[in-house]
Amino acid sequence: MSEAMQEASAQDVQERAAIDRSVRFPVLFFFTSAAGWLFLATLLGFASAVKLAAPELWDVCPTLSYGQLFPAHMDSLIYGWAMQAGFGVMIWLMARLCRVEVKNAVTLITAGFVWNVTVLIGVVAVWSGYGNSMPWIDFPAYLWPSLFLSYAVIAGSLMMMFRRRREGDVYVSQKYIFAAALWFPWIYATANLIINHTGGSAVMSAGVNAWFMNNLIYFWFVPVGLSSAYYIIPKIVGRPIYSYQLAKIGFWALAILAGWTGFNRFLGGPFPSWMPAISGAAIILMILPIGAVAVNFLGTISGRSSLMRYSPSLRFTVFGGIMFNLYGLLIAFSSYFEVSRLLQFTFATLGFDIMIIYGFFSMVMFGAIYFIVPRITNCEWPSAKLIRFHFWYSSYAIITIVAFMIFAGLAQGGAIDDWSGDFLDAVRRGKGYVVALAIAWALISMANLAFYYQLLMMFFGWGRKTDGPTLIHKNPGEAESAEAAAGFATEETAKA
Amino acid sequence: MKKEFPRFILGLAAAFIVPLLLLIVVPYLQLSSVESVKYAETDEVDNAWAYPSVWTGANKDGEKIYASLGCAYCHTQMIRPTYAGADMWRKGWGGNEADGLARETQPEDYNNDQHAMLGYMRIGQDLANIGTRHTDRAWYHLKLYNARTQNVDSNMPSYKLLYRKQPLGIKSENALKLEGRFAVEEGYEVIPTEKAEALVDYLLSRKMDAKLPGQEKQEEVAEVSTAK
Repeated sequence: MSEAMQEASAQDVQERAAIDRSVRFPVLFFFTSAAGWLFLATLLGFASAVKLAAPELWDVCPTLSYGQLFPAHMDSLIYGWAMQAGFGVMIWLMARLCRVEVKNAVTLITAGFVWNVTVLIGVVAVWSGYGNSMPWIDFPAYLWPSLFLSYAVIAGSLMMMFRRRREGDVYVSQKYIFAAALWFPWIYATANLIINHTGGSAVMSAGVNAWFMNNLIYFWFVPVGLSSAYYIIPKIVGRPIYSYQLAKIGFWALAILAGWTGFNRFLGGPFPSWMPAISGAAIILMILPIGAVAVNFLGTISGRSSLMRYSPSLRFTVFGGIMFNLYGLLIAFSSYFEVSRLLQFTFATLGFDIMIIYGFFSMVMFGAIYFIVPRITNCEWPSAKLIRFHFWYSSYAIITIVAFMIFAGLAQGGAIDDWSGDFLDAVRRGKGYVVALAIAWALISMANLAFYYQLLMMFFGWGRKTDGPTLIHKNPGEAESAEAAAGFATEETAKA
Repeated sequence: MKKEFPRFILGLAAAFIVPLLLLIVVPYLQLSSVESVKYAETDEVDNAWAYPSVWTGANKDGEKIYASLGCAYCHTQMIRPTYAGADMWRKGWGGNEADGLARETQPEDYNNDQHAMLGYMRIGQDLANIGTRHTDRAWYHLKLYNARTQNVDSNMPSYKLLYRKQPLGIKSENALKLEGRFAVEEGYEVIPTEKAEALVDYLLSRKMDAKLPGQEKQEEVAEVSTAK
């Protein structure tokens, strides 16, 4: 971060307060509606896992079959929660880093409203049997222009903020946000046009679908998540990032590799064989940018990791960062034929997708939300206990899901690979793990109920009205920042 | 940075557009213009003049139902070559091994579909060649109505919404033979709706084992499957 930002003069404080006031309503709108969607998504995840374990349960109601619950769960998780939480974080970070006030709050909220209504129609449609079995893009064809337009309004406002920014160095978070805002409409439009509106190659619509899924991860979830982590970590640790050069290299390496991924989901699929091969290679090379991020974060945090004990934002962000690195390694491994013959098309696929969407992206977003909301509402989180509850239940459950799904994948994939055996062995071997999946989603639902409750309290301005942030393991007012709580000498406070 | 800004935008655009063109647009155009290839006489294929043979949209409805029920989330339609998995060796998956027809799936196999339902996970069987494994319509109907009628351990959802329970008049020919705990009360029968029939049509059309024009006999595969 530049020198100028660290000088917390009275004028700066006033300016920041004005920016926070200007983004208050759009950001809160996106956060609260996202949290509502998240609760629904986790309930749907629970229900779909239960249906896998007990297929005849609730049989009278056709919309409660796994094939409809699961896509409704993923769509509400991605479009309802993840992307909207991302919008909120993007808007706040962009305004803060560019030092500009948001002038079009009403437009942003309108776009957000359209987005919510469209996602609602889409999820209900998929849930009640009007989906198209194209993972993550299975809303009925008539809905995508509406999502596209409301996204364009949000992305356009972000870009305008970037153009209006005050002179000064551009921080890596701004680059990530700008890039994510720019890339998504292209991916989304390409995928929808090819899948829904052209009568071309049937097999390529499946290929484009897989490409869309991975592009959504690497061109959107990863940049937005990293933009937040690159802001939160140095801010709370109280020192600049370890290497700006490394951050830059990581950014461009990700940008160059991301577009080539996707076909690795269909290794050995009915495509010209260079296509899955090049995607697999891109996924393996992706270890470079991910490693760059790891080195940078570790270098920034090292020696001050005790701050994680007190600061909820840092805790969630670091957990997300660890998951991100593990994901990079595991997905690279699974791009080798020896591994993919076992893990491809098994529960491990689901485990990896949940790992990046929930383990990395959502956890980083929670970290950002715990940081941002007190600053725009001028009150502090009501209960540190509930934050702890949210963190531990989410992290235990997410580790459970990822680990169990990978083991389930190995068991199931092993049974399928044993070609002379009964196929039902694969089903039988998966059953126990599916029960764990259901329990984990139930735990996450509980954790998110606590999160939603706290967020609504903040929304209505019923938070704690003291100076001094809500810190884990400290009573209110005991320490004025995580740095003070951890006993580090601070010249400038973390609160800014 | 003001000067760098156009370079920044250009970089972002290039990073996106190059793979978009090379990985999506060009293959898409190429694969979209794939036409049926005629068999040569040396291919020795009976009753077919080209692959894939072109047929009308009778199964488009079936595919829509397959998609809307989310079947593709649990069933793949993709047989991997032997270097990427053991799919072809599993009995019936790669095709009709008895006639030496087992092979991995090829882009042409899906030419008659709207979308290729390659799938997301294999919670259930691969369906690329289900049409060659099972030819009896009643088998499909029982499976869809409640898969536990055939395998106690199956975790497939039951699609009772595709079937209609009606008072027994003259016994319908296509009524489901339900026994044991699945039987309906006396004086009623369960018959498939049009949707169920369309879906079964679609499943019966899943035969991706035809010999490709110019393809050599797949000795290795035939050997493995006859050894079973």
